[in-house]
Amino acid sequence: MDWFPLLNSVRVALISTALIFLLGIWAANGITRLPAWLKGAFDTVLTLPLVLPPTVVGFFLLKTISPKTALGSFVLNAFGWKLTMTWFSAIFATTIVAFPLMYRTARGAFEQLSPEWEACAETMGLSKRFIFWRIKLPNCRAGLLAGVVLSFARALGEYGATSMVTGYIPGKTATVATTVYQLWREGNDALAYRWVLIDLGISMVVLIAMNLFEKQGGAARAGSTD
Amino acid sequence: MKKLVAVILSLTLMLGCNAVLAEAAPSAAPTELVVFAAASMTEALTQIAELYKTVAPNVTLTFNFDSSGTLQTQIEEGAQADIFISAGQKQMNELDISAGADKNPKNQDFVLEGTRFDLLTNTVVLIVPEGSTKGITSFDDVATDKVSLIALGNSDVPVGQYAQDIFTYLGVWDQLNADQKITFGTNVKEVLAQVESAAVDCGVVYISDAVTGKGITVVATAPEGSHKPVNYPAAVLKGTANEQAAKDFLTFLQGDECAKVFTDIGFQVPERK
Repeated sequence: MDWFPLLNSVRVALISTALIFLLGIWAANGITRLPAWLKGAFDTVLTLPLVLPPTVVGFFLLKTISPKTALGSFVLNAFGWKLTMTWFSAIFATTIVAFPLMYRTARGAFEQLSPEWEACAETMGLSKRFIFWRIKLPNCRAGLLAGVVLSFARALGEYGATSMVTGYIPGKTATVATTVYQLWREGNDALAYRWVLIDLGISMVVLIAMNLFEKQGGAARAGSTD
Repeated sequence: MKKLVAVILSLTLMLGCNAVLAEAAPSAAPTELVVFAAASMTEALTQIAELYKTVAPNVTLTFNFDSSGTLQTQIEEGAQADIFISAGQKQMNELDISAGADKNPKNQDFVLEGTRFDLLTNTVVLIVPEGSTKGITSFDDVATDKVSLIALGNSDVPVGQYAQDIFTYLGVWDQLNADQKITFGTNVKEVLAQVESAAVDCGVVYISDAVTGKGITVVATAPEGSHKPVNYPAAVLKGTANEQAAKDFLTFLQGDECAKVFTDIGFQVPERK
């Protein structure tokens, strides 16, 4: 059995989760400081990929980065990189699709943190940076971890946008999700079942991890408010 | 008195209308025909649907265009379809009990007896994005360094099977796979879109797709005898509730008006006895 689809899926999901982690926290932290009307507008745009069909995301991506577009042809001429039909094309797709999960969870966690803590720290003369790294982040750890796990799971299972920007090149761009579809279309049920089982296994592990973090988070919150 | 006249008048009107409706009903009951057709027939059938509006205004044609393999699966899964037009004999054979057990191993019986015929033939071509500078001019070039990525239909898509035939005939199929040079699309229109957007260096489609496609150039026709003939069998399906309307439409497809649409797009219409 060729394990490439699994390796590729995990590789893509890990990288996009790392990106999403940084972008999501940055956006979630930044948005709390915006005036209310801007907040609503940004929040809508940032959450949009969660409700949009992935095919719409894929379509927009293709119209932005494929070799005949301005951006796509610029990158191709300047660096010789084709942004579509490569394994890393999937990172663009999964990052956009899974981003709202991290962003929303992080925002929720930040909002739950009592604003008095921040105010209190400020009266002690602590810098904004110190407050963010040493007070906000550690106290929101459980929520942020849950966001990471959710984003990773979503990125690992993304199919629609990914298949549109990467195609299906066995050994190069195939992911578990696109492989299952292809095997089903080719009538290779035996192999499709194997991949389905593997995917089920991974998804269960992820969900169990989720629950563990939630329990931990609940305990931490209970401890801190008492 | 005025009231009475008005009532009588309106009654007469209503009766008159009813009479008209009753007369028109038998010949023009509104009918919906669901046609499952190979993705490569999208343009042709869309044009023909316009023509058919004047021939049979009471018939609404509803199309489902996808790869013939996907359509076959949908029919097997119980999709409600009146007509199936496949881009390969294999997909039709596997639904047709009269094809025999060797071609229809699951002995599936979806095709209405005596309605199947070969509607069209098509030509397999190699296309490149418009303005391509790779110098790809033949199917042989695909195995060379000129091509780093080619889009083909998967083994479930007829044009994918024809492409596999061609590259096997040229002796490079295994090498193309080993070099990981192929991206497999799920129907011919996906292959076309990938070439149009220059996401791949070239792709294998039908001449009929190339004629209507934008942003692509045809560089080669498949070598003679390198693949099975590209036939488009059509048939009425057993589950139909509109057998006569479905048969009428298939007859219309064989007429001169449709032949012109088909040949303009690049299909060939076989000689009919």
